[in-house]
Amino acid sequence: MSAFVTLDEVRKQWSHTVAVGPLSLEIPRGEILVLLGPSGSGKTTVLRLLGGFEAPDAGRIVLAGEDVTAVPPARRRCGMVFQHYALFPHLDVGENVAFGLTGRRTHDPKVAEVLALVGLEGFERRRVQELSGGQQQRVALARALAPEPRVLLLDEPLSNLDPSLRERTRRELRALIKRVGITTIFVTHEQEEAFDLGDRVAVLRAGRLEQLATADELYEQPASLFVATFVGRANVLRGKLAQILGAGPGEVLVVRPERLTLADAGVPGVVRERRYTGAAAFYLVETEPGDRLEVLARPEAARVGDRVYLEAVRVLTFPEERA
Amino acid sequence: MNARLGLAARAAFTLLLAWLVLYPIAIVVHDAAEGDALAAFVSRPGEWRVLWASVWISVASVALAAAIGVPLAFLFEWLEFPGRRTLGSLIALPAVLPPFVGVIAFLFLYGESGFVARAVQRLLGLEQAPWRLQGAGAILLVHAYSMYVYFYLFTRAGLAKLDASMLEAAQALGAGRWETLRRVTLPLLRPSLAGAALLVFMTAVGSFSAPYVFGGGFRVMTTQIVATKLNGELPLAMVETVALALVAVLGFALLRRTEGDDILTALGKGTAPRRRPIRRAGVRTFATTAGWVFAVVLLLPHLTLVLVSLVPYGTWTTETLPPVLSLVNYRRLFSEAERLRPLVNSVWMAAASTAAAVAVALVAGILVGRRRPWQFRGPIEVLLALPWALPGTVFALALLTTFSKHDPLTLRWVLVGTTVLLPLAYLVRNLPVTGRAVLAGYRQLDPALDEAAASLGAGRWATFRRVTLPLLKPALAAGGSLAFVAALGDFVASIVLYTPDNRPISIEIMSSLRVSELGVAAGFGVILMVLSALVLGVGARR
Repeated sequence: MSAFVTLDEVRKQWSHTVAVGPLSLEIPRGEILVLLGPSGSGKTTVLRLLGGFEAPDAGRIVLAGEDVTAVPPARRRCGMVFQHYALFPHLDVGENVAFGLTGRRTHDPKVAEVLALVGLEGFERRRVQELSGGQQQRVALARALAPEPRVLLLDEPLSNLDPSLRERTRRELRALIKRVGITTIFVTHEQEEAFDLGDRVAVLRAGRLEQLATADELYEQPASLFVATFVGRANVLRGKLAQILGAGPGEVLVVRPERLTLADAGVPGVVRERRYTGAAAFYLVETEPGDRLEVLARPEAARVGDRVYLEAVRVLTFPEERA
Repeated sequence: MNARLGLAARAAFTLLLAWLVLYPIAIVVHDAAEGDALAAFVSRPGEWRVLWASVWISVASVALAAAIGVPLAFLFEWLEFPGRRTLGSLIALPAVLPPFVGVIAFLFLYGESGFVARAVQRLLGLEQAPWRLQGAGAILLVHAYSMYVYFYLFTRAGLAKLDASMLEAAQALGAGRWETLRRVTLPLLRPSLAGAALLVFMTAVGSFSAPYVFGGGFRVMTTQIVATKLNGELPLAMVETVALALVAVLGFALLRRTEGDDILTALGKGTAPRRRPIRRAGVRTFATTAGWVFAVVLLLPHLTLVLVSLVPYGTWTTETLPPVLSLVNYRRLFSEAERLRPLVNSVWMAAASTAAAVAVALVAGILVGRRRPWQFRGPIEVLLALPWALPGTVFALALLTTFSKHDPLTLRWVLVGTTVLLPLAYLVRNLPVTGRAVLAGYRQLDPALDEAAASLGAGRWATFRRVTLPLLKPALAAGGSLAFVAALGDFVASIVLYTPDNRPISIEIMSSLRVSELGVAAGFGVILMVLSALVLGVGARR
């Protein structure tokens, strides 16, 4: 795997306590890499370092074999889609898209080409204020793609869309990026979005890379307690119950709701709440020592107040983290 | 920009501003402290009386302007009646009249031999004019007329920002209409009211035209300074200048403190309360009629000016209305090159000073308009705003003093008697207007737009030209047009600093009045009014 984009021990210090890195990443040509993390994890900073809007304090950034660490954003040829799109309000759609083209003529065939690509044929003369949120997002994408950048950077571009639109948009977005074949780095704090969009997902926490893997690997083999709890739902157990279910001394046990079953024998408990989701139901089971566990099972498996027994199908264990 | 280079640029710019704005004031303060003028000032009771007059006239102006402007704002923002829209914008008209022109219009209208006085005299068969428009009362009348607009506009803007649900919440909690007004509406309006009070106070303290024309024996500090200077007592004039500056700065600081933060914007906006139609037919008719009568009263000065400008020299003596009307005054104005000179002078000086003030503001925007870097941002903002806190007379005298001496080592050159000193004064006076507009415009720009341009390959200069400048255009136009109009109609600085080579319109109006060429004076007034309205109209267009 030869890297198209490389971050080599990149570090950016914001204040005495807040820093990003040192961080190393290698992204092959044509891959969609998602940077996933809670707010403050430094994912946007990594994106801005790639785009050249922030200068790293240490480390190297290599793009298509060229060291771009000191290259200003205007000469990096990275297409960027901003969180609030940053469309130029004084220009129409065509002028926005043509902004980065040499000659920047709106009748440049490239303008019509990228607008068609995002499904906005004939929108050249529209004012950007007249467009819906989804259309603005697509104009921002078309504008970023028009100058044929080497890398596409997306900063939570779907966070301003309403939820129903978001899911469809991200599938269309993935299909489009794959059709163009451009190497893409996508920032989000939503796990579902990351799994849907990314070839690989990099989980960041407090400026450090926790794990870089495919969605399946992240879910099934999380590298740390943080990844296990941040990616997907998880019951975190410590103490006696954890040891009963298979944790060693000083270990934390994580078990996902769908890996717990309501059985005839096992850990006894009482169903306290039931949350019906249609295909299944989440049951909140309180065990004897007072632990509360979330269990995913068939909708008719139990009722509130029932005495049940829990069995764990598969558990994950991690050493206790020192804060 | 290279960080060190940027720092140096900001430091250099701060020094330039300090030289323009702070240095002349410092020189006046220094000169005033020297010699025995200070002792003379302190020991003369007349001086204290004049200073006190400046203070109380200003405070009374604030009270009067609020008494007219605030109720009007509530009327037009909360009630619905026929003609509300048209009247609502007519009511802001005094803002279009340059202060000096407004004063002249008042003279023609309400003065001893004005239309109203003549009409009353004829009506009652009096021997003499029924009143003399002079003294403190006359000054206050003019101030109230020209300054209530600030309260009107600020209060309306504040009311428009009010969230209807806040008032409904108060009522749901059991507050009656008056209680809601007292406990919710007025406290929320405090920043708007304090802002208007600040503006009126500063304008009134620095007001020169009205006291100059109507004061008679009654002096305020601005007119006193000019009189002292004409007497040749320059050191005493400087002490007076410092005293006036102190009053202004004190008032500024006091009112600024009460202004506080704009809590309405901090809370985010809801929808403004819906206007209530006046239901009772009688009340509605009364409100509408009163509104129109008021609008006519407001428009009378403008109409008077137009009418008087049509009176040929020497044709109007004792009649109530002028018997002969013609365009002869305008024809003479535009056909005789010597008559046209003041207009040309005013336009070029206003244009040059506005262009320079906009350029300075733009440089300030480029250097400190963004959130980062912060070095020198505070000093630059304060220096840009400072001329606003000081009366025009103060700056005129300060520039006069500073640039009457050749001493390049202390950055002083002789500019007195040259044509550049007056436009320089206009420039300094206009820095707050353009500076505020441009810096506010910069702050509204989304920094992501710059980054978007950069990611699309645009360099620093291309980004400025293709993104920043077009987006700043409304702010530049608004600031520039206000500055241009202020310079065009200026009288305060002009009367101190003009030379025979750059006599501006206001001075020409004054000398026309002195030789009783009322028609010519009014004609210039009309031209000034129309030009101002045009420029403001263009500047306000998006």
